[in-house]
Amino acid sequence: MTNMGQTDEIRTQRDDAPIRDEDVDRAFKYEVANQVGGEGLLRCLKCGACSGGCPVGAVTDYRPRKVLGNVLLGLKDLVLSSEDIWMCAACFTCEERCVQEVNFTDIVTILRNMAVKEGHAAEGYLEMAKTVVEHGRVVPMTFAVNKMRDKLDLPPLQEPAMDEIAKIIQASGFDKILALYKGRDRT
Amino acid sequence: MKMAIAWGCLVPSRRSLLGYEAATRKVLEHLDVEIVDVPNETCCAPFWMQSLDIATSRAMAARNLAKAEEMGLDMLTPCSGCFHSYKRVNHTIEKYPGVHDQINNILRTAGLRYEGTVEAFHLVDFLYNQIGLDVIQSKIVKDFEGIDLGLRYGCHMLKPHEILNIEYSERPTFADEILEGLGATSKQYTGRHRCCGGLLRGTEDDLADEVLRDRLIDAKEADVDALVTVCSLCHIQHDMGQRIIKNKFGIEDLDIPVLHYPQLLALAFGFSPKEIGLQQHTASTASFAAKLKAGAPVEGGGK
Repeated sequence: MTNMGQTDEIRTQRDDAPIRDEDVDRAFKYEVANQVGGEGLLRCLKCGACSGGCPVGAVTDYRPRKVLGNVLLGLKDLVLSSEDIWMCAACFTCEERCVQEVNFTDIVTILRNMAVKEGHAAEGYLEMAKTVVEHGRVVPMTFAVNKMRDKLDLPPLQEPAMDEIAKIIQASGFDKILALYKGRDRT
Repeated sequence: MKMAIAWGCLVPSRRSLLGYEAATRKVLEHLDVEIVDVPNETCCAPFWMQSLDIATSRAMAARNLAKAEEMGLDMLTPCSGCFHSYKRVNHTIEKYPGVHDQINNILRTAGLRYEGTVEAFHLVDFLYNQIGLDVIQSKIVKDFEGIDLGLRYGCHMLKPHEILNIEYSERPTFADEILEGLGATSKQYTGRHRCCGGLLRGTEDDLADEVLRDRLIDAKEADVDALVTVCSLCHIQHDMGQRIIKNKFGIEDLDIPVLHYPQLLALAFGFSPKEIGLQQHTASTASFAAKLKAGAPVEGGGK
């Protein structure tokens, strides 16, 4: 990551303003709210409890409230192409504390899923997915691993059910999502 | 008692996490819990996979649950990420019947089906609620008196409590009770409940370092004999991450042993540090093992 938005280099409101009609997609918030887990979005009061408890917000100027605000405003292109939606560490503190039960972490998942379909997937997660599709596990099973296991008197690792994984990702359409990113260099 | 167990991807294959599996196996056997590995377990597709495509993630998590269901067993896991994935699938299925159909339509192509009858337990919750502190205490042969521990519950075992249904995450006590029951002091300290940034590792590494730095400074100031984690990512961050943080931010004297929760129980039951993999952690656990060895064994205790 090149610019983490440290607090000593604050991005100001002016960076995104003024917002013009042509930047706004009025259907966006409903598109998000109509998905599983997104129902709470329209209840958001923008009170900021989410930002207050955010561990990433404690070390950068990332603010969940701002993401929610931009979604509610309808800034679809800005939200889906921004790095912000990939900065959530999924600690669920905001979700736990939100009086309006907005479930921000679930909303981030929805936004990320939408962004992925538009070609904005985080490279790191994509690499992990490729490993799972190929090996069935995030950490491939190797001879060295089984040797370490043997030393601790642990049974050898089982072969993951690769045939089942292959069928699952085909039926869910995930193979097509991965195909979107085929041949792309890791940056 | 008999349980299916899903170990996850990291626990059974990372050098510093193998002790988590070794200690879990020993502790459960010692407590007369029979475990059956989920056949040909595959990745539970946790939060990072949910981020890419949640429909795929749900079906992949349901795959392991379906295998437990075939065996007629409930599911146990030491990994908070796996636990979260399984609980989330069960919760979603119950709340959204349409999603249940979607999952089964995908699973059908692989010759599988998940009805939704498998209950998922995190190891630590299982020890507290299904085994109980009294049973655990009856097996103690080594007293932890004078040992100060910094327990991290991590995020994915507790939050959001609406889905995971263990204890409200802001002031949990159940896992502390067991450690205190072993005779140790479970210290309250600033930051023990805050996220370690583990899920940012591999995709936002600088950010993962920034968050971790604060957690390690918190732990250092808490002055504990060891940190105790229940989550694979917490362990990777706090154990392997210490070296990164030391070098990157120039923090000296950062040598905190980081133990896996069931390793404490195994030690209390009389197992040796070596057979539960303490020597394989990245941050040396020698100071902790030495302090424990110096303590007196429990009168009349026997393995």
